[in-house]
Amino acid sequence: MSVGEAQTTEQAGEVDPEEVEGEDLGWRYSLKKVKADTTARFGLYVIALMGALATFAWIDYYLFDYQIANSLWYHPARDPDEVNQLLPPVFDSEGTWAHPLGTDSRGRDVLVRIVYGSRISMTVGVVATAIGLVGGTVVGAVSGYYGGWVDDVLMRIVETIYSIPFLVLIIAFMAALGTRDVMFATIGVGIAIIPVFARLIRSRVLSVREEEYVEAARAAGLRDRKIIQRHIIPNSFAPVMVQATLQIGICILIVAGLSFLGYGAQPPTPDWGQMLSESRNYMIPNPWLSVWPGLAILFTVMGFNLLGDGLQDALDPRSR
Amino acid sequence: MTDDPLLSVRDLKTHFFTDAGVVQAVDGISFDVHEGEIVGLVGESGAGKSVASKSLLRLIHAPGEIVAGEIKYRDETIFAVEEGPDGEPVPREEMLSNEAVRRRIRGNEIAMIFQDPSESLNPVLTIGSQLKEFIELNTDYGGKAARERAIEMLHEVGIPDPADRYSDYPHQFSGGMRQRVLIAMALACEPNLIIADEPTTALDVTIEGQIIDLVKELQAEYGTSFLWVTHDMGVVAEICDRVNVMYLGQIVEHAEADDLFYETKHPYTEALLSSIPRPDQTTDSVEPIKGNVPSAVSPPSGCRFHTRCPDAREACVEVLPPIERFQGTNDPAVEQRASCLKHSDLGYWNSPPISNEARDASMAEEPQ
Amino acid sequence: MSLLRYTLSRCLQAIPVLIGIITITFILVNLIPGDPIRILLAEGDADPAVIEQLEARYGLDRPIYERYFYYVIGVAQGDLGQSIYYGVPVLQKILERLPVTIMLVVSAFTFAISLSIPLGVLAAHRKNKPTDHVSRIIALIGVSTPSFWIGLLLIILFAFHLGWLPSSGMVYPWDSPDDVRFLDAGHLGPILVDIHPQLAVFYQTLRHLILPTIALGTLQMAAIMRIERAEMLETLQRDYVELARAYGVSERTILRRHAFRVAQLPVVTIVGLNLTSALGGAVLIETVFNINGLGRLIITAIQNLDYPLVMGTTFFFGVVFVVGVIITDISYAYIDPRVSYGERE
Repeated sequence: MSVGEAQTTEQAGEVDPEEVEGEDLGWRYSLKKVKADTTARFGLYVIALMGALATFAWIDYYLFDYQIANSLWYHPARDPDEVNQLLPPVFDSEGTWAHPLGTDSRGRDVLVRIVYGSRISMTVGVVATAIGLVGGTVVGAVSGYYGGWVDDVLMRIVETIYSIPFLVLIIAFMAALGTRDVMFATIGVGIAIIPVFARLIRSRVLSVREEEYVEAARAAGLRDRKIIQRHIIPNSFAPVMVQATLQIGICILIVAGLSFLGYGAQPPTPDWGQMLSESRNYMIPNPWLSVWPGLAILFTVMGFNLLGDGLQDALDPRSR
Repeated sequence: MTDDPLLSVRDLKTHFFTDAGVVQAVDGISFDVHEGEIVGLVGESGAGKSVASKSLLRLIHAPGEIVAGEIKYRDETIFAVEEGPDGEPVPREEMLSNEAVRRRIRGNEIAMIFQDPSESLNPVLTIGSQLKEFIELNTDYGGKAARERAIEMLHEVGIPDPADRYSDYPHQFSGGMRQRVLIAMALACEPNLIIADEPTTALDVTIEGQIIDLVKELQAEYGTSFLWVTHDMGVVAEICDRVNVMYLGQIVEHAEADDLFYETKHPYTEALLSSIPRPDQTTDSVEPIKGNVPSAVSPPSGCRFHTRCPDAREACVEVLPPIERFQGTNDPAVEQRASCLKHSDLGYWNSPPISNEARDASMAEEPQ
Repeated sequence: MSLLRYTLSRCLQAIPVLIGIITITFILVNLIPGDPIRILLAEGDADPAVIEQLEARYGLDRPIYERYFYYVIGVAQGDLGQSIYYGVPVLQKILERLPVTIMLVVSAFTFAISLSIPLGVLAAHRKNKPTDHVSRIIALIGVSTPSFWIGLLLIILFAFHLGWLPSSGMVYPWDSPDDVRFLDAGHLGPILVDIHPQLAVFYQTLRHLILPTIALGTLQMAAIMRIERAEMLETLQRDYVELARAYGVSERTILRRHAFRVAQLPVVTIVGLNLTSALGGAVLIETVFNINGLGRLIITAIQNLDYPLVMGTTFFFGVVFVVGVIITDISYAYIDPRVSYGERE
């Protein structure tokens, strides 16, 4: 009787045309589900938008040395007296459409700075997550697969990193290197989140390791590394993808916090956390300065959370 | 056996509305259970048996829905719909409300034993407190009396030191013991009908034997009726009075137990019987059913078994076989029914055979 | 295994981690370029003799290995060293700043839990109905928002714009009324001062706590709510819940008795972890609201290159975290009858 391979009415809620041989749901099916899910799609659009803005900012930064930005930031041709603390036009009587969201204490257009701020946030978020993901995968896979003392030692180290509060660890790390450069902040954040991925991968490896096809591969004489590469990692993929997506959002929040404390992007580089920090000095004259950068962070992180949630729903229908 | 059935099911249809399509898990089944008897409901995994049994207590949740049919228990209507003004099914007046089903039927009159004892008991509650709760809810016993009754039932099902075990947690019991607890729960509520959904599937054979003996004892003592859902023909042979065979959401054969085995009238039943190893046969004669269970979203046309039936002919693809009735051989009072064109006068014998895995395999074995 | 033995064994297992924390911090801190003594004597007093004296006093003239070794010994005896910048024992400085951070974190988590658990259960119960959608949106916004930004907005709205609440600082319920400025501030201030001054102190504490609590607690509330909802949904689909339904148990009782308890287990773990790490994470809120808590202490210490203080505080955080994990694990083992001390999944 061929039960496992066909659709069964008992599992009516989990019908999956692509499911074969007990492997995880096929990519195409998941992607289809995500596309069908409106909230996940919205998240994808948000990410695409912010990604486009960040790319644009990168291009200007790298190729044109901020020339475009500079032409937009100030409007020298315009009224040179209209510098400080302008307010958004839609709301306030003193605002103008030339600076839709107002200007900051140095007369720089807030909207432009927000757009450019996406460069730091998106880049750091993605790169830090990538670092954590790669590092965590290596640690977690090795730890989970080999077990024994290797597992113990690695996990102890991971726990140690994990028990030092994020911000403290990263700030100390940067102070130790004598730098406040945002690149090192990125590396620091990446290292700080290795434990998250290490634990996730490790637990997946532990459960997959016991599966029969791994036994079969081992019996067939496959080398350990190949087993890890070919069988274990692909099957652990799904929850890792979800975690990675969500983690980018988390990293953006962490970096915003770091910048807020002065350890991220340094002025004059526009960065949302740093803009928020500056805005503290002008809360009474122009409270709106505190609003826009925060909204930008909220919007961006929400995009990643929506996508991550959507991915999770697609891969585990029960959580809908 | 009285004439009026305890439970009467007519044309029950339960569908699941999923993203991948409408899964017609149960697609028009009818059967009865009379007082004091054990009726079997057999079929492969995916035939719809569990869905059917859950439907009886209206335990179907989104995306599933009971879309048609009638379920009557004694003279109460558990479920019945008629066509409403816009063509959508509308509950009939006499259908019990959710609240009424919950209070009056579930546990009190009809109890259910689930399949997997390891998952069926709440891990953070002692089995005693779970038992007591159900007893208090469904019988007149309360407080201390309920507790005592619980201990008594634990004893009845053969659990040693019941008073001590009352305050133990499910994980402290073995699989067989847990199943006994589930049986105790069902019996303690003094229902008239117990729906047992594959209660021995998750147990190993020796334990299974003990449980079956226990059920036979208790049934003889209390006279409870059973609807026994299983895919194991061996269990059916041991315990059932009458049997319904389900395939892909429909009942294809119904017979008194011995008739089912010795006067089989439906190819699917025959195939099922051939697929079980028997101690008096060699494994050479064990033949798994060829082919896969088709999709329940778009079931095969005509007779649903035609894709895997060694005797299928073109007529089977086109015509939905009607239910043919026969007088029971072993017990003439028990009607035998089968839905196979072989027994109808609808052109089966004139139409050419079709080719499918089953026929090809049987042709290959018998060179002609 | 008994509770006592389990606790002891976990504590023993924690020692390597703690040593690891000390080591990592030590390495990091000593890599920091710069000279703490010079910072201390920022006024420009560069008399070499004084510098030498101070260096000797803080052991900075000894080789690294010695310092490490003596430090670890000291810690084992409860001596976390002397703060270079403040000139007092590190432990004392920590204990000075500890109460306010605890107050803040406890307050934030009480706020978070009291909202998130009921909301999560409700959302799970009313899955896919409007209540669920609204809760999920709120939770989504909650986990996507920077906590310090919420703090800023709250200050702008409630402190500057409406003037209802103070924008910074902290008052403690045990402060003496004479030490509190603006004892009669706020809507109820004047009334309470007349009734009893200590009540007014209480009131001022509340007034100072509300905004930071909301700022810090929102993210936690959102995160816990999501987990609660997910766990409840998962549990409500289990066979044993279905069994209870089959026996006629009402949905309310199912929620309360059959599903809720089981669902809490993972939530307990998460809350435990989050709470302990929030002690360090409160630094952002402390900065926004100008509260002199542990978080700010350590940041300042890093900036001042105050090695002993940095290491001592980090070690302290580490201990708290490790203890927190142990307590969480024990609570878990206590609540889940399946787990007995020593056998973990």
